[in-house]
Amino acid sequence: MRTRRRRRIPLPAVALGLMLIAPLLLASDDDCLACHSDRQLKSARGKVLFVDQDSFRTSSHGQAGIACVDCHADLQKVKDFPHAEKLKPVACASCHDADEAALRASVHGQPHDGQNPIVVSCKDCHGTHDIRGKDDSESSVYSLNLPDTCENCHLERVRTGRGPDFIRQYNQSAHFRALEKSGLSLSATCVTCHGGHDVRAVKDGRSRVSRKNIIRTCGRCHVGIEKNYLDSVHGKDYIKGSADVPVCIDCHNEHNIVSPENLGSRVYATKVAAVCSRCHDDERLARQYGLLTSRLKSYSASYHGTASKFGEIRVANCASCHGFHDIRVSSDPKSMINPANMSKTCGKCHAGAGANFAKGKVHVVSEKTESRGSYVAKVIYMSIIGGMVSIFLIFIAADLYRRKRKRRSP
Amino acid sequence: MNDTGLIRDDEVFLRMNLAERIQHFLLIFSMGTLMLTGLPLIFTELKIFKSIFAFEKAFYFRGILHRVAAVVLIVNIVGHVFYTVFTRRGRENFKEMLPKFQDVKDAWNLFWHNVGLTRFLRKKGVGKAFFDKHPALLFEKEPEFGRYNFIEKFEYWAVAWGSFVMILSGFFMWKVELSLKLFPLWVHDIFVIVHGYEAMLAFLAVIIWHMYNVHLNPEVFPMSKIWLNGKITGHELRALHPVEYRKIAESRKRRLEEANASQPK
Repeated sequence: MRTRRRRRIPLPAVALGLMLIAPLLLASDDDCLACHSDRQLKSARGKVLFVDQDSFRTSSHGQAGIACVDCHADLQKVKDFPHAEKLKPVACASCHDADEAALRASVHGQPHDGQNPIVVSCKDCHGTHDIRGKDDSESSVYSLNLPDTCENCHLERVRTGRGPDFIRQYNQSAHFRALEKSGLSLSATCVTCHGGHDVRAVKDGRSRVSRKNIIRTCGRCHVGIEKNYLDSVHGKDYIKGSADVPVCIDCHNEHNIVSPENLGSRVYATKVAAVCSRCHDDERLARQYGLLTSRLKSYSASYHGTASKFGEIRVANCASCHGFHDIRVSSDPKSMINPANMSKTCGKCHAGAGANFAKGKVHVVSEKTESRGSYVAKVIYMSIIGGMVSIFLIFIAADLYRRKRKRRSP
Repeated sequence: MNDTGLIRDDEVFLRMNLAERIQHFLLIFSMGTLMLTGLPLIFTELKIFKSIFAFEKAFYFRGILHRVAAVVLIVNIVGHVFYTVFTRRGRENFKEMLPKFQDVKDAWNLFWHNVGLTRFLRKKGVGKAFFDKHPALLFEKEPEFGRYNFIEKFEYWAVAWGSFVMILSGFFMWKVELSLKLFPLWVHDIFVIVHGYEAMLAFLAVIIWHMYNVHLNPEVFPMSKIWLNGKITGHELRALHPVEYRKIAESRKRRLEEANASQPK
């Protein structure tokens, strides 16, 4: 930063000379503090004009020896104090031009629609005299403090597209809990996923959380998962640009991402089937991609599905047999449901599972065509039950009829 | 046969002794528990079952309870087999319980007797000559039953068959790893289906058939108390089990005659 700043000084040839005489020409910090160290100092409109020296001296700018007039540049030439009340806004861009440009291009730089267009400036997030670097634990943009900084606006004053409740969901997430409970400074904050200066609306293709970029964004931390996903049947189509395959947020939620062991997770053991079947029981997708349908129905009819419905988490759900990030088609030799791997997959729960596990159909949609034995057993039993119940009822009816007649004419 | 004077109307006979009542009670307990913990898996959408299994780990306890009840049922059946083989009364009961062709005829006769269609036709003058020639087809007389009528025999053998099917299929569902070591998956699937449908059959048989015959039937309403105290009166015996009644009367008569024959000496 310092090097860039030097470059910005006009007329480098006389820089040395200027620097030597500068203290004589420019108002010194002491001149400013003569008034601004007074806690009672207020503008005509009542705005507090006090500048906390200690806070400034320990700030990034104070540490770098930057003077008041370096930022409040229109005071450089002022000789008579007190100066005019109205000063020009500080131009951070005179040093931080790239960051300022990124901000102007971001959603924060564009006036929002609505009655009160808001343009966000540097100080809204970074503060003013007390600006600190993002690695300083007292900084407003330090990871542990950052959610508060963003939520200052986004919980109340400034509504985003999905509303404040959607923002608040982040505070339930595993990411936030890691920050809050463990102080895990590497956990994902707002900027980790949305970007800092270049934050953009999700529908903007350049947004880091847009469908196109979300895998890369999550993958920056979850490297192994990104790799598994890109090798999976979903990932392969994702790379081809399909908009139909699930990405991270489709299964894990957006802001309230929680561990799969958490009951609130969309991929909690008993809820997985509902997540997968959103697409896998969708007729349009089934036609387009040749998916097998009635997956949820056939799963629900099985013991696994029934037990799952009653909240049993130890039974198999979709992911238990198909995997999750690395789901592959059954013909893939690496697929968990490839016939060659079935005994290993089933063996995770059923110790010693052998080849017999593959001798039969798992997702039985039509028993008539797919599972003859079950079909025949069902038909036989239905006939027996139907026949028996009919006989019972006929006998009972005849018995009651006779008793009624007997009573009438004994 | 009406009143031989050998059996008083208020004389009490033991239709179910204590051992038999205990067996019956254990059967009620085990079957009831098995149904309560098993049927929810078939009727998963019923709210009443959902509310029973609402608490955490409910499904796990359901499974434990189902297996405990199954063991009780098996122990009960083993006990019953021992009782049947090793006691005199057990062997006699079993002989009485054996199905005969007469039971089919009884069922047929009782049904047409109750309906009374042929008597109605005869009264209206339809097929008069035919019915005069075959008076049996008028089903004028109610069939007479022995110690166990066809209804009771049917229920006994239904329980026997049902238990066999349920225990066999249930065992392999319990030991699914063993099952799939011995059978392919499609055979195991049949076990699961058979277990479910046999359960429904048993449930319906108990609810409709057994409940009618021992509770709702106007003759015993609100409930036959035999399963509690095991007692049946001479009057009830004559009305419901006339063949058994006559058998007892005859054996008493024989004993009386023998005693009379030996006395004058």
